[in-house]
Amino acid sequence: MNTRLRHLFLASLLRRRLATALSLVAIALGVALGLAVQLIHGAALDEFGRGVRLLAGEADLQVVGAREGFDESLYPLLAMRPEVAAASPVLEIEARLPGRDDSLRILGLDLFRVMQVQPGLMPRVVATAGRDVDDAGGDGRLAALQPSNLFLSADARALLEQPLRVDGRQQAAEGNGRAEGELQPPAVQDGWLLAQSGLRSLRLRVAGEVPGASGLVGVMDIAGVQQHFERLGQLSRIDLKLADGIAVDTAMRALAPLLPAGVALRVPEAAASEAGTLSRAYRVNLTMLAAIALLTGGFLVFSTQLLAVARRRREFALLRALGLERRALMHGLLAEGALVGLVGGLLGVVLGHALAGGAFRLVGGDLGAGFFRGLAPSLQVDPVLSLAYLLLGVAAGVLGTWVPAHEAARVAPARALRAGEAERTGLPQAKVDGRLAGGLLGLAALACLLPPQGGIPVGGYAAVALVLAAAVLALPALARAVLPLLEHGRSVLWRLAHARLSATPAQAVVAGAGVIASVALAVSMAIMVSSFRVSVDEWLGQVLPADLYVRASSSAASGYLDPSALATIAAVEGVAAVDTTRLVNLRLSDTEPLFSLLARPVNAVGQGEWGLPLVAGSLVAPAGATLPATWVSEAAADRHRLVPGSVFELPIGGRMQGFVVAGIWRDYARQHGAALIDSRDYVALTGDTRINDVAIRVAAGVDPHSVSETLRQRFGPEHIAVALPGEIRALSLEIFDRTFLITYLMEAVAILIGLFGIATTFAALATTRQGEFGMLRHLGLTRGEIGRLIALEGALTAGLGVLAGLLAGGAIAWVLIEIINRQSFHWSMDLAVPWLALGVFATSLVVLAGGVARLAGRHAMQRSAVQAVKADW
Amino acid sequence: MLQLSGLIKTLPGAPPRVLFDALELQVAGGECVAIVGESGVGKSTLLNCIAGLEPFDGGEIRVAGTELARLDDDGLARLRRRHFGFVFQAFHILPHLSLAQNVALPLWLLQQPEAEADRRAREMLGRVGLGRRADDSPHLLSGGELQRVAIARALVHQPAVVLADEPTGNLDPGRAMEVLDLLLEQLRARSAAGILVTHSRAAAARADRVMELVDGRLHAVRHGS
Amino acid sequence: MRNKRLPPTAADRRRFLLRPVVGSLLALALPGVPLLARAGGHAASAEATAYPPVVEGALLQFPQDFGAHPQFRTEWWYVTGWLREAGGGTGRHWQGAGEGGAEGRAGGYGFQLTFFRVRTRIGEDNPSRFAPRQLILAHAAIADPSIGRLRHAERSARAYPGLVEAGEGRTSVRVDDWLLEGGDTVLAPYRTNIETDEFGFELVFEPGRAPVLNGKQGFSQKAPDPLNASYYYSRPQMMVGGRMRIGGTVREVEGHAWLDHEWSSEILPEGARGWDWVGINLYGGGGLMAFQMRDGEGRALWHAGTLSEEDGASRIHGPDELRFTPLRHWQSPRTGIRYPVEWEIELAGRRLRLRPLIDDQELDSRASTGAIYWEGAVRLFELGAADEARAIGEGYLEMTGYAERLAM
Repeated sequence: MNTRLRHLFLASLLRRRLATALSLVAIALGVALGLAVQLIHGAALDEFGRGVRLLAGEADLQVVGAREGFDESLYPLLAMRPEVAAASPVLEIEARLPGRDDSLRILGLDLFRVMQVQPGLMPRVVATAGRDVDDAGGDGRLAALQPSNLFLSADARALLEQPLRVDGRQQAAEGNGRAEGELQPPAVQDGWLLAQSGLRSLRLRVAGEVPGASGLVGVMDIAGVQQHFERLGQLSRIDLKLADGIAVDTAMRALAPLLPAGVALRVPEAAASEAGTLSRAYRVNLTMLAAIALLTGGFLVFSTQLLAVARRRREFALLRALGLERRALMHGLLAEGALVGLVGGLLGVVLGHALAGGAFRLVGGDLGAGFFRGLAPSLQVDPVLSLAYLLLGVAAGVLGTWVPAHEAARVAPARALRAGEAERTGLPQAKVDGRLAGGLLGLAALACLLPPQGGIPVGGYAAVALVLAAAVLALPALARAVLPLLEHGRSVLWRLAHARLSATPAQAVVAGAGVIASVALAVSMAIMVSSFRVSVDEWLGQVLPADLYVRASSSAASGYLDPSALATIAAVEGVAAVDTTRLVNLRLSDTEPLFSLLARPVNAVGQGEWGLPLVAGSLVAPAGATLPATWVSEAAADRHRLVPGSVFELPIGGRMQGFVVAGIWRDYARQHGAALIDSRDYVALTGDTRINDVAIRVAAGVDPHSVSETLRQRFGPEHIAVALPGEIRALSLEIFDRTFLITYLMEAVAILIGLFGIATTFAALATTRQGEFGMLRHLGLTRGEIGRLIALEGALTAGLGVLAGLLAGGAIAWVLIEIINRQSFHWSMDLAVPWLALGVFATSLVVLAGGVARLAGRHAMQRSAVQAVKADW
Repeated sequence: MLQLSGLIKTLPGAPPRVLFDALELQVAGGECVAIVGESGVGKSTLLNCIAGLEPFDGGEIRVAGTELARLDDDGLARLRRRHFGFVFQAFHILPHLSLAQNVALPLWLLQQPEAEADRRAREMLGRVGLGRRADDSPHLLSGGELQRVAIARALVHQPAVVLADEPTGNLDPGRAMEVLDLLLEQLRARSAAGILVTHSRAAAARADRVMELVDGRLHAVRHGS
Repeated sequence: MRNKRLPPTAADRRRFLLRPVVGSLLALALPGVPLLARAGGHAASAEATAYPPVVEGALLQFPQDFGAHPQFRTEWWYVTGWLREAGGGTGRHWQGAGEGGAEGRAGGYGFQLTFFRVRTRIGEDNPSRFAPRQLILAHAAIADPSIGRLRHAERSARAYPGLVEAGEGRTSVRVDDWLLEGGDTVLAPYRTNIETDEFGFELVFEPGRAPVLNGKQGFSQKAPDPLNASYYYSRPQMMVGGRMRIGGTVREVEGHAWLDHEWSSEILPEGARGWDWVGINLYGGGGLMAFQMRDGEGRALWHAGTLSEEDGASRIHGPDELRFTPLRHWQSPRTGIRYPVEWEIELAGRRLRLRPLIDDQELDSRASTGAIYWEGAVRLFELGAADEARAIGEGYLEMTGYAERLAM
């Protein structure tokens, strides 16, 4: 078989180099994109997981609560339990660095406990020039207890000792008014780090390093962190090492009843899987795009192989007549496909790693989506994943060849050897039933009714696949329906092209399948992204009704405002009204990501004016309710099955508090759900009077910029960020666009592969139709006219594909918006079709396809008309 | 209608081979000349030179008063469009067009209105005995029928010259004579000059004149010889 | 915690302590304090509250002074003793059984447990309960002749209410589930509970007599300069009962123990390098405590001792009445350090011999607290006129400052 295989089959790939090369590239791109998405995400998750493992050390269980922490009284309680061998309390702070746009994660630790549970976090004193060891506190044990001593990982130290180049968007985010490209000062200078708590700067001495830690992390004594960052009595986490012989499950059962509301026990690995959950929907989304690119590559193999088989029909008939078994013929053809898939897959694996490596440098490990901020993952070669994607490439090659190979194996040698047969079989006579397409559409509709599986909209993705398949199958029917409308063209070329396409709609399938898939993908994404963007834009307008926004840092970081700061702001001349937001993150269960709780003075600014984009319920708290009111986001409503009037229990201040749902609002900012309550209720329940954001309305005729300037001077420009709603809006939309950048890239690749499909089809067709073109030259068509004929056919074919793609894309867009987004991210959006962009896109694609077809068909024009009409069979 | 004078063509090689050595030929409208000769002697090349599809080195070819050497590639294409009809051994009927559309093809190229083209194509199909099958697809036709369609296509636009290269090569002998007679009949009816290249002495015998291509020149062959 | 090796400095040479379990941890607190105080902004106010000095003439009050003295820099409760399986002895008068034998009583285990308290003067103004104002460290060991070495474990933590504490008013020290408490009255018993992976003990100590005040009424001078001194009392001849676990085997045990409680702010004499200390329960019902402070060359800087009687009478021996002479050395196969494991002690004309229960009672805690020293069960013999040795008691010997020499 080997010699036979090489000479009869694989050699044929070399003969049609263009088609083979394009198939290779198509498969390579599909494999590369899919693999790159997985690699990038895998690396980011790995890095996150490494961080989690380092932080958890040898802990068997972790006690976790809200991001703001929980009461430390739990710590001695758990430490004294017989199930617990060691308990290590942790207070984690995202320290804002005044004057800089980045922040530092500081872990407040009890080093005596760290020794037992997380040895990787042990700090080490480093004597630096000008300071002897004693100055740093001896060999470090007491130095590590000093409340103002900070120990930095090598990564953190390297970064913080460098000036920070101001990035345009971060600059806008922090509202510091610095110009892009300007350098922000190093956070560590002369061995001291400047951090911020509330509106106050504090100096921390860099006393040493954390040799076992990687990433941007610092370690301090827990008492120092509680004191400096004003978090007395609070812990973020307690890591537990269990006593010998105590099973994790047993311990969880025994300890869980001790935990107050909003605090959960989990195994450390759960933190990594929580991170995985955070980004899973996004990752699945991207993987689906890559799958469509690979699918398009598979279609491409299909069309090139189908045409090649058609062309080699007589060759196969001869081989069969000479005694080649039917199965051997089929195997040989499948081997061709497998080889294309294998080589394409190999190329794709290499390219995928290269893409992932490039992506780390350019957009970071989160693919621009912001899930893994601050991580610096490195590219790892994953043999299993690479092999899996390689096999996917081979599968695409083999499956693409399956139908053509089957077709070829069925060739009746006697008939195929007869003259004239080739003319007729130059194109596959695919029998496509429109009813099948209809059936698939029906199935797609049913799939849309399926609920999500584990947070993944499986039904939605199935519907997308079904719609795509239906669109491909419906293409001949579409051609039959559409082509008669285009019949009355004047030009003979138009008539010829039209006649050819009308007579052989299967050609449209072969050439257009790739176009359909890629256009459908691009169109659906375009509609979805446009709808999303328009909705986000509108939403931003609604949620940012004030004239000026002030914050000390993001709610996750250590800056905050307190009532006295608020009073200062309110007293600034020109400030007419202030509205405050306290944002905390609650833990509703040990499996869910953190839930956002917003506390705002409800109705303080006047009803209907407080920027809550309601989709259901009322802005007014229900009269006569015994429970306080809450307004929940769509995600919260979806996840917890809430409707206006439902009672929703939230763990606030260590106990469960019931709220009555007054309304549901649209929230694009917090994917895992948010609830808004009145800040008076919040303060009453928690005693926490901190404020994260202040929205300011300025008095009529006052320039917000002057108020902003006054505030900066009052609090120190490095301590607060003041932003105009327009800036926040522009920044948000920029982040939005950045998030979708990678999807645009993948669409472009899919379109490219679709165009490859047109090119290979027409290259192959041009070869089989050389006799036809030679005859037309005899009849008096010029070379140019032949070229235009091919271009016209290409454009018509692509036009049909684009039309089907547009229809399918519209349907898929609906699925994306109503099913996939709704189920993955729990947010609704208003449909906004970018008609103009779609029109331009479709038109240019048709024109481009014409050009590509003509380019691919130039063989046919080059060959002498004289030879072409010779009875080549 | 067709005039070749002093046609010279050499084939590159070492030494160069002289294919046509001051070849002379004149064919009047309605006349059919058969050209015979051994394989490789240059019969088909002669047809290609006449059709402007292959260059020649000297002499001149005039078709309906136009000298070929003066035209560029597109000009030659336009010339063929107006003044030539072709019948090929392999038929070259487009499978995706109906018979009427195949026949109408030359008229389409001449920018005839669609209805007029259709009418004339159907009329022409009637003349070759396929009038009732005008809307059929070529798939359904036999070889002889396909060649009739080809003859109809070659003559529908009333060309000055019809070039037929082994038109009966793919047909069985009975069908071959039938088709040949039809071609000659239509040539005469339309006053077109015909050149028939064939291996078959029997086919050649049907033509008005028979010329044999020997050593780069045409020699008349007597009827019946 | 990894201990960084640094070139020795003058400060290093001063770095050793009476109770080296805290090793470098405590040592570091001493020379570095003024500099440390400058290090953190919050430490500045801590300088206002200095460590109180140890002065002669202050009367110790019990049970009040059984409790912690958090103002002082360091403090420890140190219990050593011998245990035997219960039922083999004769109750309270344990000393009768083996008296007079050339090798003393057969069998037995040595045990040791220590709780240290260190005032760091860090975070004294910090309202956080985690503020590391006081550190508590604990150490426990069993000398097991059947394996020929020590089993030991240690704990260290910052004080945290309810979890890690050194209480005032009575003895009450704990690090998580390790604890020593008692002394509610002058004669009230003590109780301890120690659990480790390898061993554990749960013991009750009956003092039976009032505390013995060492030095001048509890003012124990450590060097020629009275600045280097501690408050120091001992409780010899405590009766022990309870359970001891080694691996998975629990034994009912009984025996005798010795408790030292000492607190100080400035204990280290200038130039001191190491310390040899014994606490012996004499078969006759009395107790002997003796120590010598050595300099860098191994010469004695200071001697002191207390010989107490069963009836409570005690005699204080000054530097001129005591002499320590090493007789036999044992070299640790692990660290290469040579320890004088047999001594001759001359005490006011009497010639006494110390012999270890087992040679290898070295404690290597470089992996945790950083110190290496020898602390183990010993028997005391008295030489007669014809140099015949007669066992007269059992107790503990502690030898420190032999490791540092190696490091140099």
